[in-house]
Amino acid sequence: MTCSEFQKSLPYIIDGGGTEEEQGHLEACPVCSDLVADLRYIAECAKLLVPMEDPSPRVWKSIEKALGEEGLARSARRSS
Amino acid sequence: MTTTKKVLASGISEQEAIERAQQGDPECFEALYGLHKRRVYSLCLRMTGNTAEAEDLTQEAFLQLYRKIGTFRGESAFSTWLHRLSVNVVLMRLRKKGLPEVSLEETLEPQQEDGPRKDVGTVDNVLAGSIDRVNLQRAVDSLPPGYRIVFILHDVEGYEHNEIAEMMGCSIGNSKSQLHKARLKLRELLKQSKAEKAAGRR
Repeated sequence: MTCSEFQKSLPYIIDGGGTEEEQGHLEACPVCSDLVADLRYIAECAKLLVPMEDPSPRVWKSIEKALGEEGLARSARRSS
Repeated sequence: MTTTKKVLASGISEQEAIERAQQGDPECFEALYGLHKRRVYSLCLRMTGNTAEAEDLTQEAFLQLYRKIGTFRGESAFSTWLHRLSVNVVLMRLRKKGLPEVSLEETLEPQQEDGPRKDVGTVDNVLAGSIDRVNLQRAVDSLPPGYRIVFILHDVEGYEHNEIAEMMGCSIGNSKSQLHKARLKLRELLKQSKAEKAAGRR
């Protein structure tokens, strides 16, 4: 199996799939095994982006104003 | 924490706040905003990479919520329902701005410009241990919008490909393909970042 053939199946291999032949290539080829390791590492690291940030208080003020203009709410008295 | 167990500062449960907001109570709606603003805003920020746009989209998402909260029937958790509503608001905005549609003819074959280079097989070149939040965020922000959205929805927010396909109006295969290309592009960007950092230390 060539690297090119192996890499055509990469999306499935990354998710833990792959045939016996593909697994064999993965173990034997340093280029492809590095590639798979990197792509799995990137997927794992995605959770680093989960931390949350608060919006500026002006967002609520804008919502309150828009609701008032649309007549959707009587008024929300407090701002957050 | 489940919907029914969340207790707001006013002493009422989230469930009660939802029911009252459905009847048009603005203070309960504000309480729901307080409870969910962080998650909605963070989602908008990650998907757009732009603070002003994320604020505008957060506003739009909560206005949509106010208009649609009467249709919430509790079939899923309120936070899940609101999250999905917010994703749709962002996608609608991006489509209006001309988010490139995912080609239905696109195959899973790696394209020349997206494929890995052959010179990346040495131990020094692997990414392991080199990714932190700052360099990952920077790389994600520089992805083309279509790649960024699928990466955020799948790898960060945890949506399945069938859900992404439904939201984006594309096939499951295309969602998988876009995700794969996004990860390949991120790899390239993160390797550049790693190389620049190493060069800076010399």
